Amino acid sequence: MTSIPTPASTTSSADAGTREAASARHLRMEAVTHSFRGAAYRHLGGELVAVDDVSMSLASNPPQIVTLVGESGSGKSTVARMLLGLLKPSAGRVTFDGDDIYQLSPQGRSAFRRAVQAVFQDPYGIFNPFFRAERVLWKAVDRFGMARNRADALAKIEKSLGAVQLRPTDVLGRYPHQLSGGQRQRIMLARAHLLQPAFIVADEPVSMLDAAVRVHFLNILLDFRTQYGMSTLFITHDLSNAFYVGGHLLVMSRGRIVERGSTDDVLMRPAHPYTQLLLASLPSSDPDVRWTDRMTATEQTTAKPSPGRSRCLFAERCPHVMDRCWHDVPPTYAVQGEPSAGTGVETGAVHLGPGADVTADEQSHSVACFLYDPAKRTSPPPDSLSGKT
Amino acid sequence: MWHTIIGQLRTSARLQFGLGLLGLLVVLAIVHPLASGVVGSQDAGGDPLAIAAYRPWLMPTGSHWLGTDRYGRDILVMSLTGLSASLQVGLIAGLISTAIGVIVAFVGGYKGGAWDSTLRTVTDMFLVIPSLPLLLVLSAYVRRVSLAQVGVMLAIFSWAFAARTMRAHVLSIRSRPYVDLARINDASDMEIIFQELLPNLLPYIGVGFANAAINSIFGLVALEVIGLGPAGVIDLGMMINFSINWGAMSLGAWPLFMAPITLLSLLFMAQQLVNIGLEEVYNPRLRSVAGA
Amino acid sequence: MTFSGTAGATLLSVRHLTVEYATVRGSARAVDDVSLDVNRAEIVGIAGESGCGKTTLTSAILRLTRPPGRVTAGSISLFPRGGAPVELIGATGEELRSVRWRNVSYVPQGSMNSLNPVMRVGEQFKDAITHHDGERAANLDERISYLLDLVGLGGHVARMYPHELSGGMRQRAIIAMAIALEPDLVIADEPTTALDVNVQRVIIQTLRDLRDRLGMSLVVVTHDMAVHAQLADRVAVMYAGKIVEDAGVRAIFHHPRHPYVRRLIGAIPRVGGSRSRLDGIDGAAPSPLAWPAGCRFHPRCADALPECSTVMPLMAVTGAPNGQHLTRSMVACHLHPADAIPTDVSVLEVAAPSQKEDR
Repeated sequence: MTSIPTPASTTSSADAGTREAASARHLRMEAVTHSFRGAAYRHLGGELVAVDDVSMSLASNPPQIVTLVGESGSGKSTVARMLLGLLKPSAGRVTFDGDDIYQLSPQGRSAFRRAVQAVFQDPYGIFNPFFRAERVLWKAVDRFGMARNRADALAKIEKSLGAVQLRPTDVLGRYPHQLSGGQRQRIMLARAHLLQPAFIVADEPVSMLDAAVRVHFLNILLDFRTQYGMSTLFITHDLSNAFYVGGHLLVMSRGRIVERGSTDDVLMRPAHPYTQLLLASLPSSDPDVRWTDRMTATEQTTAKPSPGRSRCLFAERCPHVMDRCWHDVPPTYAVQGEPSAGTGVETGAVHLGPGADVTADEQSHSVACFLYDPAKRTSPPPDSLSGKT
Repeated sequence: MWHTIIGQLRTSARLQFGLGLLGLLVVLAIVHPLASGVVGSQDAGGDPLAIAAYRPWLMPTGSHWLGTDRYGRDILVMSLTGLSASLQVGLIAGLISTAIGVIVAFVGGYKGGAWDSTLRTVTDMFLVIPSLPLLLVLSAYVRRVSLAQVGVMLAIFSWAFAARTMRAHVLSIRSRPYVDLARINDASDMEIIFQELLPNLLPYIGVGFANAAINSIFGLVALEVIGLGPAGVIDLGMMINFSINWGAMSLGAWPLFMAPITLLSLLFMAQQLVNIGLEEVYNPRLRSVAGA
Repeated sequence: MTFSGTAGATLLSVRHLTVEYATVRGSARAVDDVSLDVNRAEIVGIAGESGCGKTTLTSAILRLTRPPGRVTAGSISLFPRGGAPVELIGATGEELRSVRWRNVSYVPQGSMNSLNPVMRVGEQFKDAITHHDGERAANLDERISYLLDLVGLGGHVARMYPHELSGGMRQRAIIAMAIALEPDLVIADEPTTALDVNVQRVIIQTLRDLRDRLGMSLVVVTHDMAVHAQLADRVAVMYAGKIVEDAGVRAIFHHPRHPYVRRLIGAIPRVGGSRSRLDGIDGAAPSPLAWPAGCRFHPRCADALPECSTVMPLMAVTGAPNGQHLTRSMVACHLHPADAIPTDVSVLEVAAPSQKEDR
């Protein structure tokens, strides 16, 4: 049975190095593909490829936050389910410390569950309406043997509630429908605090919360990293949240990862035309900064059947599309001439330390787009949608 | 948990009335030995159900509220005894078929895949079997059968329908986020079925049980009206059979058939009210006031 | 701007509107004493978090409130172009029908799913137009092409079924239907929610075009402040059933006065902004069955004064009213007592003396 490193002390500390010197744990996706088949996908040829040859890696030491950004239909929720052991991929492996999580022994499965936890999107659906809200906390304590007796368990539960700024009296004894969305999501965070997993997979955790409460939640996720050493995969469609959280960023579209790098690199110097489109479409919350040019809609209707997947899937909407984009899947290229992650950030900022969030595999800013093929490029790639360089 | 259930149950008048009526009938059935004792203690004691206990074909009087039948047996006691027998059959058959139905529905519905295909095929097979003809054949061969054994036989034919409806409900809740959370909490399939899914489907299980019980009761009545069924046990169906055979209607001996028919009708009405009431409680769109 | 008409004249005037819901636990006031003005060719945003009452407010304005909800007080006056003023509260069904779609139309929440799935889009346009205005039934096909073009859809869309269009295209089709009879006012409830980001931009553009090119007024209801920043001329922020601040869009974003609005603006992360920690707002919005006494925000307010827990602050103008509707700021907070007359009714009379209220 793999030994589980004891959680870091819960005294507040900006330096995650107080954690016992355990070797880094890794949660990885290796060339994972998943298709859904069935009569519902007849118009797509019988199968929907939700995730297409995706690889990514999360490490627990040093703790990091990795954001996966994608719109609805990009496959990001499927990725979350596969990482959590809820959905076995059609091809490829999901590994935890090198072992395929879908081939684990019961003890291995138990250790995996102890180390990888989740926060889901729907703050209401996550609670079984039949029971009180606190049951999710008691079940966690029971299942993973977190306490010696009932009094000890209650103490730990109250402490975790306090850590996410919930008053135990406001929450204990209540049913889920008696609590607000923000309170319910915080209970999920309290559960994570209780278990102190190595990894948290958070699938759109704030999209159903009010704006005023969202920021609190994101701050708690950031604190979990610095104070308790938990690494988080933060899945969202909202680029502003991705920017706020910082760390490492992956952009996903139609099942493929099209760009990855540090958050600053990808959001301030976007390379892939899709990322550029996303940024151009984001309304700024400054009334003095309004769009002056017009964007034409480039949506597809289902009346036209889309050609197959052996091509760049953004070709239909790309202002810089070339002939080869229609015939081959673009491989991943490094974005040249970029400053490495960590520079250009205010010193003393809370989120990034130089190079601290980047795993060895993915240090550079990379993009899956033929425009960045060093062999074929004649002029520098465009840095914005309008094509100006 | 009980607090939730009771709070919910209080919101429907029909449900409360139906449950009340059902409760009344159950109480009547339970006290039948008492009634038997009271009636039997008149006229120097004896068993009111023994042949020739009293004079035959008596109309309702002070000492025999529903009169007597052809063999001089007190009809009131016969009715209560018969009610008790019917309810016992209903209970046994209902419990057995609900248990089978729940296991089949939940295991198949939650696990999916090969489990589901197999169990669904079995369920469909049982649904397709014509139950009444088969029961007739069984009964013709097995005359010396006890009430419990009849209950089991009837259960074999009632579990499939409940299983089918419950499976549909299981499918609708098995992908809820709280089930995912239970899986992440390293719960086993059985734990998920019994601790997460079952409590939320209790109303459907309750309705399934009520339907199975009533179907069994009426199944037995059907058998007995024809003349098949466990001998030696007085049942409401048997009383109707007697009425037909002895021409009670033309004789004007109305208690012999009115009593069982009334009791059966009340039982059916109670069960329907409970069904409707449960639907009112669990279907928010039927409610008339917001925030209930 | 390419429209003609009197910019700035009052189009819609809501006064002291109150909507109550009957619940098992008593009466809940989802909208409490709300007053609001919309001028010609103006885009007014209504902002607020879930449960603040903004959707109830728009339903009430359109007279779509259904039991267990009831309008219990207030008036809604419409001053349509080229027609007599209409008081919507107490109007007959006939009067309402003549007003709907012709003077005021509605793009409801999630409306991209409210197209009839078994009819072609063009047919549904014809349905809506002939139902509300039989006279204009001539040249329908031309008109439909024109409307689709206004929202950036090709004419071929009229021959398609709703399921063949993407979510954004359906949303724009609904907008085109809403402007089919050239109403004075379009009310849109969460028009960009549940759409992809690039489509949201196109929808915002489309809505802006309605005002810039057609001179229509817009009321846009959404919790997404960034949409207001891009679209609105003026924003009214609601909290717990009341409007707490009503000011020009720049004032709301750059110098918000009400503590709730200040904290709300401060809680929005921005790409490219500074990386320092943002603060949200502690606590949770109160339920309509348990409004706090006095100012409803006081339990969560860091700057609460003693009177905030007992006295309800009234809407007051801050700074002298200068008659320019767009730049006046109104706020309901004890920290900002009025410099001028404190009640909203008389203030608006002072500001626009030409517009007499129709009572």
